[in-house]
Amino acid sequence: MIELKQIHKSFGDNKVLSGIDLNVARGEVVAILGPSGSGKTTLLRCINYLEKPDSGHITLGDFTLDYGKHAKKDIHALRQKSAMVFQQYNLFRHKTALQNVMEGLVAVRKVAKEEARTRSVALLEKVGLGNKLDAYPNQLSGGQQQRVGIARALAMNPEVILFDEPTSALDPELVGEVLAVIRQIAEEGITMIIVTHEMGFAQEVANHVVFMDGGVIVEEGEPKQLFRYPKEERTKQFLKRITPDTAYSI
Amino acid sequence: MSFDLSFVWTAFVQLLGVIPITLAITVVSVVLGFIIGTAVALLRQFRVPVLSQLATAYVTFIRGTPMITHLLLIYFGLPMIIDSVSSSLGLGFNSSSIPLIGFAYLSFSITAGAYASEIVRSGLLSVDRGQIEAAYSLGMTGTKALRRIVLPQAFAASLPNISNMLIGMLHGSTLAFAVSVVEINAKAQIVASTNWKFFEAYVAAALIFWGLTIMIERLTAVAEKRFRSYNRGGVS
Repeated sequence: MIELKQIHKSFGDNKVLSGIDLNVARGEVVAILGPSGSGKTTLLRCINYLEKPDSGHITLGDFTLDYGKHAKKDIHALRQKSAMVFQQYNLFRHKTALQNVMEGLVAVRKVAKEEARTRSVALLEKVGLGNKLDAYPNQLSGGQQQRVGIARALAMNPEVILFDEPTSALDPELVGEVLAVIRQIAEEGITMIIVTHEMGFAQEVANHVVFMDGGVIVEEGEPKQLFRYPKEERTKQFLKRITPDTAYSI
Repeated sequence: MSFDLSFVWTAFVQLLGVIPITLAITVVSVVLGFIIGTAVALLRQFRVPVLSQLATAYVTFIRGTPMITHLLLIYFGLPMIIDSVSSSLGLGFNSSSIPLIGFAYLSFSITAGAYASEIVRSGLLSVDRGQIEAAYSLGMTGTKALRRIVLPQAFAASLPNISNMLIGMLHGSTLAFAVSVVEINAKAQIVASTNWKFFEAYVAAALIFWGLTIMIERLTAVAEKRFRSYNRGGVS
């Protein structure tokens, strides 16, 4: 359902992505792992066109885009096929939790306000924030903000939700509540790509794990196989340093 | 010569009548200034070719010259241009039919525009890059993201500076006397010219300016409360 072909991206002389190919099936949960600087966040941002790859193709659902050559309106079309959950939440600071979730529906999808409201309230209740509808982001904890972020992404009913290290900015005690929400929506069969450092979580929730380093995909496969019997030397090194046991503790 | 308190009151009452003139100059120049300033700041922010260089030249020239100079340049320069264009096209329009306050509106708006552009620019810079990315990720166009997400936050962040600018332009409006517009300060001079009690008249003028300034401060405090309420922290 998602197909990335030969994605290349450089920042100046620094080659960040060197020919990434990736396929994601509908309903699949893909975890992307790798050391910092491996290009995993950049790859995720390319899918949402927050970064423009130098070349490559993407197919998202029934929509195909050539990064090297496309019309400007294709960018908005591509972005509407996916939704992003950010490391720093990036909730609209001047809008309440409810308005944050409604914003995309009202301003982009042109859904009538009343309907957008009903749907947004339901989503906020789903992520456990039915009692925080009128709170501004500043009045919410990090974990609560991130759950609003997830509700905002869900509201767009995208083909895929992209999670960019969704728990990295959180206090350790708040990580659990966010992971629980992600786990819950994963079980509903929503396609997700998650860049994460939570190895235990990746192993448990993902159907497919991708290990990236130096701008290429080093190894990919089922979580059990990749975590227990990694083939590549680079993967083994990485996993030895970050094992599931320590992932939750620091 | 002794201080004539009762004349302060007499002058005060007479000055009240021209408050609308002063307020009109202030409000018109600040409102138009912000329209100009927003356009200029956006042109510079997005580095629009040619126009952004023109915008930069405008800002440096206006901020590099006094406000009264702008007024005098407009007052003496504009009629020459208008009259020569009018006569060459045979429009039969004469610059002398332009009301004097029109020159003040125009020139002070140009002055305010340059300063406002810096206020808008700092407001835009205060908005986190992540806000725009979040807007884009929902599929918003650049214009929509600007209008719905960036500008409201930039505006809220700019309120203290906007307040400053309103006060600055209120006080600056006194310069309009140079083109014979009778605002509060000029009126004080006229009131005193009958009995030479200039000090009393200017005391009255000062009190009125002070009062108007306090009003502006109050209004912006209310606006800040209204538009920046989301900044109040505290996990509820």
